[in-house]
Amino acid sequence: MLKKICQIALLLIPILALFAFNWKSNGTLSTYSNSRLFEDKLADVSVSYALDMMNEERPIHYIMNVSDDSARMGEELVKFGKLKDGSTSRISKYFVCTDCHNLQLETDDPADESPERVLEFSKKNNVPFLPASTFYGMFNKEHWYNGDYAKKYGDLVKPTRDTLFNAIQLCATQCSQGREMEDWEIRSVMHYYKSIELKVSDLKFTSREYGEFTAYMSSDNKKAVNLLKSKYNQINDAHFGTSEIPKIEGYEPIAENGEFIYKQGCLHCHAVGRNITNFDLDDTRLTHKFLLAKKNKYNSFSVSHITRYGTYAISGRKQYMPMYSFENMSDEQMLDLMFYIEKKATE
Amino acid sequence: MKRLIVVLTALIFSSGLIAQNKINETFAGTRVINNHSSEMLPKQSLEFIVAHKFGDIAGSAGGLQNFFGFDNLADVRIAFEYGIIDNLDIGLGRCKGVGARTQLLDGFAKYSILQQKDSGMPISLTFVSSVVLPYAKASTDSTSVTSYPKFLNRFMFTNQLLVTKKFGERISLQVNAGYNHRNFVDFTDKNGLFFAGAAGRFRFTKTLGILFEYNHVFGRPAAIVAQDPLSFGFEILTGGHTFALHFSNSRGLNENIFIPGTTSNWLDGQFRFGFSINRRFKL
Repeated sequence: MLKKICQIALLLIPILALFAFNWKSNGTLSTYSNSRLFEDKLADVSVSYALDMMNEERPIHYIMNVSDDSARMGEELVKFGKLKDGSTSRISKYFVCTDCHNLQLETDDPADESPERVLEFSKKNNVPFLPASTFYGMFNKEHWYNGDYAKKYGDLVKPTRDTLFNAIQLCATQCSQGREMEDWEIRSVMHYYKSIELKVSDLKFTSREYGEFTAYMSSDNKKAVNLLKSKYNQINDAHFGTSEIPKIEGYEPIAENGEFIYKQGCLHCHAVGRNITNFDLDDTRLTHKFLLAKKNKYNSFSVSHITRYGTYAISGRKQYMPMYSFENMSDEQMLDLMFYIEKKATE
Repeated sequence: MKRLIVVLTALIFSSGLIAQNKINETFAGTRVINNHSSEMLPKQSLEFIVAHKFGDIAGSAGGLQNFFGFDNLADVRIAFEYGIIDNLDIGLGRCKGVGARTQLLDGFAKYSILQQKDSGMPISLTFVSSVVLPYAKASTDSTSVTSYPKFLNRFMFTNQLLVTKKFGERISLQVNAGYNHRNFVDFTDKNGLFFAGAAGRFRFTKTLGILFEYNHVFGRPAAIVAQDPLSFGFEILTGGHTFALHFSNSRGLNENIFIPGTTSNWLDGQFRFGFSINRRFKL
């Protein structure tokens, strides 16, 4: 009897194993399913929540839960520069945040915000190619206004480098040449940032890394934190270029890239009717001929000059153009842009 | 007239049916040379204008003795224009004035009725109504046009429609027609005058262009010595500033003055150099 039971059991084991494998693959097997469910939930959580789960020290701007009302007000301030009910004055009469900042992911891998990766992602997803960092994931950064920003803003950047609150204020008063934001306004913007912070699912883990990460979460918080933080960029860095037209031996400029940068970068602000700048551009031959004719000049009409230097706020004309640092536009992309302009001017 | 109304109505309604893009930058500024253009200021934008006209370049009052007019001042105007909404501008200015009518305050309202689009709307249509109030002390000579027996006698009005079309990247043309009314005129003159004109721009480059502007006054009394104002200009855009340099037989800078009151004749060398500087601000 016992022998028969053992024989049947031996026959059933592979069959059960096969069923178990199939059930596991479509996520309906209870134990494994639970494990998967746990992982799926983790993917849905925000990066700051995941860090909090691992007892990581909270940043100064930490917010536990998004307040819907505050986030809504923050979003209005970001998109319109004031509350839509008209109860506040515009932060800047020149710019709103979205003139220079996107609100969505700019790269498929938040650990790699290189201009090449950003351009590739932006082309695929029709995201504007802008000179400033996206607000998506801004909440998860730890340092702002680093690198060459000190050349432009001097000591003003010091209090911003580790405090998002101060970084927002500097952007309001200096970058957008607007008024000082009130505390509640900055807090509202923080809540909006919190609502568009990185999710674990936005980060690019290999399946092995993800397994390690989940394992570390229960065994070694420090390793888990390090692994998590290696998956997104925590620093807003900047290196400024010069007006010199780059020379890259052997590089063949790509007109398609140039066209995208021109239309989704330059025209984002300079398009006729946008009323953001005093110098309107369009995609006509007349405009491209003008830009081509000025390409070697050392003034604001030269594409390489204005893109790398921007303009500075001067007395009587406080509005100015931010520059594209190397973190936001590579030399290759500059050549792509200039190639597109030349192509359109001469076609 | 009925046909015009039908065409305009059809244009207005058809414009809403198709997705179109507005044609912008038909002219560089809110003026072609002296007269209004169909260009509107964006909402909450302020434009500051300084315009200046010198004396005759040639003729009996010109030449080297007046350094080709630079030693004389024909008119000067300082004005502010403001975009209340994208379709409605208002403006306020002050002119030195020309001839007997001096020390002028002027104001206008301009409304964009139609805007040229890349499909569906081939033209822009704009209405401008302007008024001038000379604030100079009234003349004691009761035969003078500046004796102003009543306060209302001081006013002058011009209402005009501007029809504009931009052809491609370089050429813009404008046709205007309107009615000018001066409340108090010389007994040989007429209070109300109809006029029509044309203006245009040709852009050499993104920032450089040439301009012309002409107006003809209909039914002017034969006893009045007057000329149609004709001007040629050159414009330079710098991004923020628009400079217009021009030559014109009219001395005045406001349409209430130069349309009914131009007396200088190009053929007699009575034309002058002038310029305007426009600067736009966001408020």
